[in-house]
Amino acid sequence: MSPLNFRRAALLFLAAVVALSITVSPKVRAQAPAVDPAATQILQRMTGYLGGVQQFSAHTQNTYEDLLASGHKVDFDVLADVTVSRPDKLFAERSGDLVEQTFYYDGKTLTLYDPSQKVYATEHAPGTIEGMLDFARESLGLVIPVADLIYRNNYQLLMQDVNLAVVVGKAMIGGVKCDHLLFSRPGVDFQVWVAESGNPLPYKYVVTDTSAPALLSVSTVISDWNVAPAVADDRFTFVPPEGVKQITFMPVKAGGGTSR
Amino acid sequence: MKTIFKSAVAVFILVSTLLPVQFVPEADAILGFWRRNVRRAVIIGGAAAMTTAAVAQQQAATAQQQAATAQQQAAAQQQSAASEKPLPLGTVVTSLPGGCSSTPVGGVEYYYCGGNFYRAVFQGNKLVYVTAQPK
Repeated sequence: MSPLNFRRAALLFLAAVVALSITVSPKVRAQAPAVDPAATQILQRMTGYLGGVQQFSAHTQNTYEDLLASGHKVDFDVLADVTVSRPDKLFAERSGDLVEQTFYYDGKTLTLYDPSQKVYATEHAPGTIEGMLDFARESLGLVIPVADLIYRNNYQLLMQDVNLAVVVGKAMIGGVKCDHLLFSRPGVDFQVWVAESGNPLPYKYVVTDTSAPALLSVSTVISDWNVAPAVADDRFTFVPPEGVKQITFMPVKAGGGTSR
Repeated sequence: MKTIFKSAVAVFILVSTLLPVQFVPEADAILGFWRRNVRRAVIIGGAAAMTTAAVAQQQAATAQQQAATAQQQAAAQQQSAASEKPLPLGTVVTSLPGGCSSTPVGGVEYYYCGGNFYRAVFQGNKLVYVTAQPK
């Protein structure tokens, strides 16, 4: 082998080593502590910031994965515009192939209004957004867009039983450079993308059910954040339009589908 | 020049045949770490997970509910096709059978069709119809 050949061969070998070391590096990274403080700090900064914002509005794109009886996975997309006024007001407007609904909460009652079917249902509700979200989920089976992120001081709630927290890397979400975080707890994995600079707002949120083999996820991409929206209080109170009929909610744990 | 090319090809072949052998165990090791980790996470268990867990569970529950509703509906349709027998009260269907007439009773809108009265309710975020006795 001439010196030139040798050099060429050595160069190729070096390239191969570099290629190998690139493939090895994720393994090295994975051996870092299971709960990385770098990840939990970003999550805490995000929850702390959002918990302190008195009023905000955002646009969300929710994708719900579902499993057909045939075993095929399908996505259902729901768009929602959410406006929150702490401590006791929330307005959400959803549209998509699954639901077309408007949700009102004014600190006293919550209302779900279906404009396409011209029906609405109203219930007395707890006096805070947090209490109302619990009530809506547990008693009425209602899912409010990005409820997890609306809870004030939800850091402890999100971190409960978490045994894996890592910074996956950086990603651009809707033109915003974000830190991509992954957390895992028994039965649930969740990922959050938090703006790297400026206000530490979440731009994407994915929750995966790891308790079932299907690994279904709910994904939410959040955009159009406004942390100082001009919102009148009457926005949160439902006034039934002409010709709209009142119906009821079916309680969650009523077997056989009885209604009250 | 020819020998340079030859040796380069030889090294390339050597590297490219070696690489898959090297890559696969590495990939397995990486995946293995994640699998083990997830399994460990599941085994550890612990207190009831809040919020996100609830969302995921609820989603599963909703899917089951939808499947159950669909089955009920199919059963209801078969039943109504077989005869005009009234359905048990509280039977949930995702849409009304054709040809319903609506009547308000005590401020509630009832839909009558196929020998049954239905009323609209929200089952979670979903609008469904449930067989009921007007009162």
